[in-house]
Amino acid sequence: MTDYEAVIGLETHIQLNTLTKIFCACKADSWNAAPNTNICPVCSGLPGVLPVLNEKAVEKAMLLAAAMHAQIQSLSFFDRKNYFYPDLPKGYQISMYEAPLATGGYLDLPLPQNEARRVRIAKLHLEEDAGKTKNAGGKRLIDFNRCGVPLVEMVTSPDLRSAEEAAQYLTRLRQLLRWLGVSEADMEKGHLRCDANVSIRPRGAAYLNPKTEIKNVNSIDAVREAVQKEIERQAREMEAGHTIESWTLEWDEDSGKLKKMRSKETEADYRYFHEPDLLPLHISEEWKKSILTALPELPLERRQRFVTQYGLPEYDADILTAERSLSDYYEQTVKAYGGDPKKVSNWLMNDVLRMLNEKGMTADQLRLLPAHLAEIIRLIDEGVINNATGKSLLEKVQASGETPAAIVAREGLAKVSDDAAIRSICQEVIAENPAEVENYRNGKATLMGWFVGQVMRKMRGKADPNLARAILEELLAQ
Amino acid sequence: MRLTIEEVKHIAHLARLELSEDELQRFTEQLSEILDYAARLQELDTSHILPTSSVLPPRSMLRPDEVLPPLSPEEILRNAAASAQGQFKVPPVLE
Ligand SMILES: [Zn+2]
Repeated sequence: MTDYEAVIGLETHIQLNTLTKIFCACKADSWNAAPNTNICPVCSGLPGVLPVLNEKAVEKAMLLAAAMHAQIQSLSFFDRKNYFYPDLPKGYQISMYEAPLATGGYLDLPLPQNEARRVRIAKLHLEEDAGKTKNAGGKRLIDFNRCGVPLVEMVTSPDLRSAEEAAQYLTRLRQLLRWLGVSEADMEKGHLRCDANVSIRPRGAAYLNPKTEIKNVNSIDAVREAVQKEIERQAREMEAGHTIESWTLEWDEDSGKLKKMRSKETEADYRYFHEPDLLPLHISEEWKKSILTALPELPLERRQRFVTQYGLPEYDADILTAERSLSDYYEQTVKAYGGDPKKVSNWLMNDVLRMLNEKGMTADQLRLLPAHLAEIIRLIDEGVINNATGKSLLEKVQASGETPAAIVAREGLAKVSDDAAIRSICQEVIAENPAEVENYRNGKATLMGWFVGQVMRKMRGKADPNLARAILEELLAQ
Repeated sequence: MRLTIEEVKHIAHLARLELSEDELQRFTEQLSEILDYAARLQELDTSHILPTSSVLPPRSMLRPDEVLPPLSPEEILRNAAASAQGQFKVPPVLE
């Protein structure tokens, strides 16, 4: 069998998280809103109205363009894309075609062995969303709430080489969108939508074979699965001597299968022309500069810096930079702690992340501040408390907002390292449990953990477990 | 520039217009004449002139991102030929 490589391009639509729609003052987010409750004459296409561009939508698109290393154009304008569909009340979509907001750009996906896959951006522009239609009892019902919601359409060149890379691109894009604060990027809610163009060719070939387009994939896992299945199908077809036809395929989430969509009767003929109701968009150097100064360190740059500056494994750096406030939290804790950055990483990855997941919070919402976490780690380092007490302090600080040292003092949580105190409790435990003592002495060595546990319980977790174990071993050997 | 009947049919379809045989003949004539007239402009050499995207000063007209009250669903649905469950109702569309 020929060794094939996949050639994949992704077409994404990103819903910007502005308060209002792109050309009118209607609320942009209609999640859970009743149908047709966020509409006005502009977005529902009534005659005689004028669209006015939302400044924030432009700024968010500029920020995204800059983060994708694209060139923001000083002059761009909107066009009308004409077609008839019930979800499009005006009979055209306002989109950028001839003079888009930005050109060029790329995203470097980290690959194993410090390599990277450069994914070039072929298209990046602003446009408005259409409404929603659904079939009900032989009729079609239309909700215009989504009409005019600001979107950035961003299309990659066919630079991705596997289903896994396609999934990774989307993961990195979603991370970047949230990092920049330009989109909620929730695929299930349609904030980030993706169509995939897939073809295959013998590995190393430079030409492109006919591609198929996969639509309606609304999770990253679904993109990975759908693209993988399509690559396998195309390879089977080619091995059987068939040619690949440029189908449009639809991903069916329930059956996990790709279905061929009915081809449209006519080729797309959108008769683009300039939107006469909108003035050209001029972006001054000043405005651009003010946006670029607001551009934060990007997730992949920070990930790399965590590896070099703190000596973290890539695995840790990846998790800690998955979300911006978590990575800020990490750095602030490292700074406050002043000790081994890897130790801080362990606390975050094991304990703080679990806490965040359980509470459904982001790191910046915690009452357990970076300074608190640093103090807990220091208290353990200095032998004031043991590890288990440290872990229990996380929840206590989160619940009360008090400093760890104050809680330790009030609840008497400082570790008892006094040999005599632990020794007398050990003797008590041995005296109260003759059966276990006999079993232990008859060779059931695993009972040691149980004995240590009994001592810790009696001392309400304050004993140094290593010391307790040593004393127990000594006493039980007698 | 001579348009064919087929081209006129295609354009009519894009605009969702249904034309009779007679109208197709007539509009093919008329559209061809309009194109001929417009083609005269192309005799001018404009290669050294930048396209005019606007005659107004280069300044963007933008709107602050502030929400204003929407229309009520009742108001917007008053224009609908048919509605149900607070939504516009149209015949089913074949994909
Ligand atoms: Zn509106």
